[in-house]
Amino acid sequence: MESALRNLSSSVELLAVAAHSGAVDQWDDHSLSSAFDWARYCEHLFSRFHNNPAVRGAMEEQLQLTNGRLRAAFPGSTEVSFPDLSRCQHHLLIGLLNNPKLPISIMKLLFDSNAPADSGCVDVSGLCSRIIQCKSACKVLSPLTPPSAVGADAEVQGGLLMERLGALITHGRAEHFLDSVLRGCEGAAAEHFCLVIAAALLTRTNSETASHEVLLDWLLKKQPSTLERTCSALPTARLMDLVKEHLKFRDAYRDVLKKWASEMEYSIGDGEWVQSRTNPPASFQKLTEHFQALFETCPSLRDDVEKELNALKISDGDFDVRGLSVWGDLLSELHK
Amino acid sequence: MTRRVNGCSGLLLCGGCGLTSCPHDLSLPLSKFTWTRGPMSLLQPAIQLQHTTEPLPSVQEELQFWMDKAVAWGQADSPDTQRDTSLHLRRLSSYLQELLSHINTVRSTTETMKRLPLLGQLLGRLCWNPHVTADDTSRGLLFQCLWGLYSEEPSDAVERKANQWIRRVLCQLSTEEDDAAAEKLMKRMGVPPKEYHLKVLTKMVAVLQENIGKSCSSLGNINQRCSCDSILATSEVCVPLVSCPEAAPLIGALLQRPATCVRAALSEDFLEALSSAFSRKVLSLEDQAVVSLWIHSLSSLEEAVLSLLESVLSSKGSTPQRMVQQVSQSLLPKACAQHCSIFLVVNDIFRSTLKQSEGNNSVKSLIQTFTSCFLREVALLQPQKCVSLKAFFPQSPQSVLVPLLTLPSEMPPEAWSHHLNWLSSSLQRLTEEEEEGEGRSSTRGHQRVFEAWFLLVQCAHWVQVSVQLLGTNRLEDRGPLLWLLTFYHHPTNRGHHRDLQLVQAGEAWLHLHALFSAPPHPAPADCQQLLVALLSPGPQRPALCPSLVFSLLLNFAVFSHQPLSCSTQVLHTVVRRSGLVEEAACALRSLELRLSAGSCSSSDATRVHLRIEALQNTLTHMQAAWSPAESQTHTHTL
Repeated sequence: MESALRNLSSSVELLAVAAHSGAVDQWDDHSLSSAFDWARYCEHLFSRFHNNPAVRGAMEEQLQLTNGRLRAAFPGSTEVSFPDLSRCQHHLLIGLLNNPKLPISIMKLLFDSNAPADSGCVDVSGLCSRIIQCKSACKVLSPLTPPSAVGADAEVQGGLLMERLGALITHGRAEHFLDSVLRGCEGAAAEHFCLVIAAALLTRTNSETASHEVLLDWLLKKQPSTLERTCSALPTARLMDLVKEHLKFRDAYRDVLKKWASEMEYSIGDGEWVQSRTNPPASFQKLTEHFQALFETCPSLRDDVEKELNALKISDGDFDVRGLSVWGDLLSELHK
Repeated sequence: MTRRVNGCSGLLLCGGCGLTSCPHDLSLPLSKFTWTRGPMSLLQPAIQLQHTTEPLPSVQEELQFWMDKAVAWGQADSPDTQRDTSLHLRRLSSYLQELLSHINTVRSTTETMKRLPLLGQLLGRLCWNPHVTADDTSRGLLFQCLWGLYSEEPSDAVERKANQWIRRVLCQLSTEEDDAAAEKLMKRMGVPPKEYHLKVLTKMVAVLQENIGKSCSSLGNINQRCSCDSILATSEVCVPLVSCPEAAPLIGALLQRPATCVRAALSEDFLEALSSAFSRKVLSLEDQAVVSLWIHSLSSLEEAVLSLLESVLSSKGSTPQRMVQQVSQSLLPKACAQHCSIFLVVNDIFRSTLKQSEGNNSVKSLIQTFTSCFLREVALLQPQKCVSLKAFFPQSPQSVLVPLLTLPSEMPPEAWSHHLNWLSSSLQRLTEEEEEGEGRSSTRGHQRVFEAWFLLVQCAHWVQVSVQLLGTNRLEDRGPLLWLLTFYHHPTNRGHHRDLQLVQAGEAWLHLHALFSAPPHPAPADCQQLLVALLSPGPQRPALCPSLVFSLLLNFAVFSHQPLSCSTQVLHTVVRRSGLVEEAACALRSLELRLSAGSCSSSDATRVHLRIEALQNTLTHMQAAWSPAESQTHTHTL
């Protein structure tokens, strides 16, 4: 344990030196290789101990101490937190490439495109060249992928989310994790997360039913606004996939639609039902489409829902005049 | 054409085998394929990129052209611009190479920027074009151009700025993430960008591969749209990805898709890019995909065959086992077994090489090894996929085809003699017909003899059996066997050379028979001298091919019942006096390989093995004692 903490501290110092110190101009390919080995070691520490509160706590303390020392030595340095360790090699690379003192020979090594791929200890040679190749290849291929399907990137992110959840469920930290991810998302990022959640719920590997359950429960019971956001952000086809795959989602979705309908007010000026809340508004037209899609996908639902809508219409006075009851207008649209 | 194999001039000097260098004797009308390169031209430096010493102005003019292209490519990301980029990729690489030479010649960045003010902009734009950076060659050249512009000791503001810009561009290319939301999520989940991008790429490849795999639904109706429309587009887009290992499954799927629909054509640029990557050995495809590539692209098939030829011909002194390994690893025998057309092309190349190398022994060995690997592969194929062997050998004389293709192991040893007699007389008849018909339809006659001889080269196992029989039995009618052996080594009978050589072969046999019988007949020294004399040209007669003599000699030596020391002594003397240690070693290795395949009885096997070992030791000592220069001088003086 002691040596692990010492190594951790040294590695973090190494990161700072790589990013901020002029000492890098003495580095050769051996030092470079060695630095990446230590970064890999840190990643290993993270994956081994991130679910172990005792060890994790000790490491976090150590990091605090090291960070303090480094702040003094390198005023511009950023702190390294325990979660940062999972992407340590990436941090190292960023630091190195942004360090103006990095010798050009080291850079050439990193960008050497003749290096053979996957040759064990010569991992650093051509590292950046391979990253660029990979990113470019993705961009080259992405226009070819069929537009109707879930994007490859969303699928991968969904899959990774499922993996992470799977690892955390046994320690009871899944919901905590999901909360923290959500906390970090605003605006476009939040909408993106909704897409990822949907992709995650649609992953088809057998081992993920437990993760699906956890994610679904979290979404449906704990995060109503995220649920609503998901329902409005996703394309209809994706929503229908979810409806088919998960019964609980189907019911929750139906409830969301009813909620939206109940929030609508009739605007005489527009001659249309509009939603007063701004987050994000669904038009009457869209609402009708949602219901229709739902009925098409789940015909068995139709009778029950129409009965509910009818009951609500009756409670509104059972008028057949447009503009008085959103339920009545809905029903008449749906019967067209 | 009288090209020589680089560094192996010794191999082509086979002065005694009688194949004249005059092309008329064995001229075969060139097959319907026109070679993109002659077989021996492989060994000349491949001029892929133009390293010209053109004056500066043309580099400048082209710069404007590429600048316009880069701007156009950057503006729209439509399928048309993608196609345009793929189409121009090769030319772009050539140009980048020129730029690089220019940059390295001028050496001062300030000076370069003065001469080519748009250079920085061009490089910058190309760096941000994924179609350019996905391709190994152009990416590598771009980076090298950037390094060329980097100044270790910047002398002015221009150079300092250039340095900063270069570092920044490279840093951004490696670390910047387009999709901020995804990056944030990955950060939160603790997934490194490298892992993420790799997974996304793998996923995309899998999705696209699945789509390619879907069979065509149009069923020949040319007006109906089908899923094959995307094949051409996909292949064009994949031009920069031919050497990307992660894209290999997709490329393999494109190549192996059955060509049932007219729309399912692959882009020419794609095939060319694959061929080029294959020759640079940076292609990472599965075996079946490589075979499919050969079907699609003749030039890549040629490349593969020439590459095999080169590797075999340049590995001097390698064992027959090694040759078998090299041949099998090339995948060509398997491909030939699966596709008749590939076998026909390969054989055409072999024919051509054989003629140009003037019957060189290594080439003959290779052809024999290749054919036996091929036959093994054919046997392994599922029975229902088997094509009649006749389809594989359309030009060979049909009367001797099956008898020659039959392996010695497929018949009892007692039958060999009879079989060989038959073969010998059939072939003799063929050559006599040709010689009689001389003047009338000589080209066709020549062709028939050549084809018969080529088939014999392919099935040289029978020649080896005949040598073995000659060496082991006190044959009264050794005539047919000697004829077969002579024909193998001296197929042309121009000026009745072969007839003379047949006589000499007979003499050689007599000398050898005398030398190796137990007890040896009197005056062995004379016999040895006479034997050596046969190996050099004499007045009005050509030399006898060393391989012929040595294969006979070694068979006698191995199977003789005289004391081992006598046999090794004879071998030593003959080799020393003739100076042909390499030929002897080669013949011994072939003999050993053939015997290890199991064609002598087990009781004899140990004895034979010991004798072979002893003979090998003798030769090894002689090889070590002689420097290569010395042995070559000896060869030249013959």
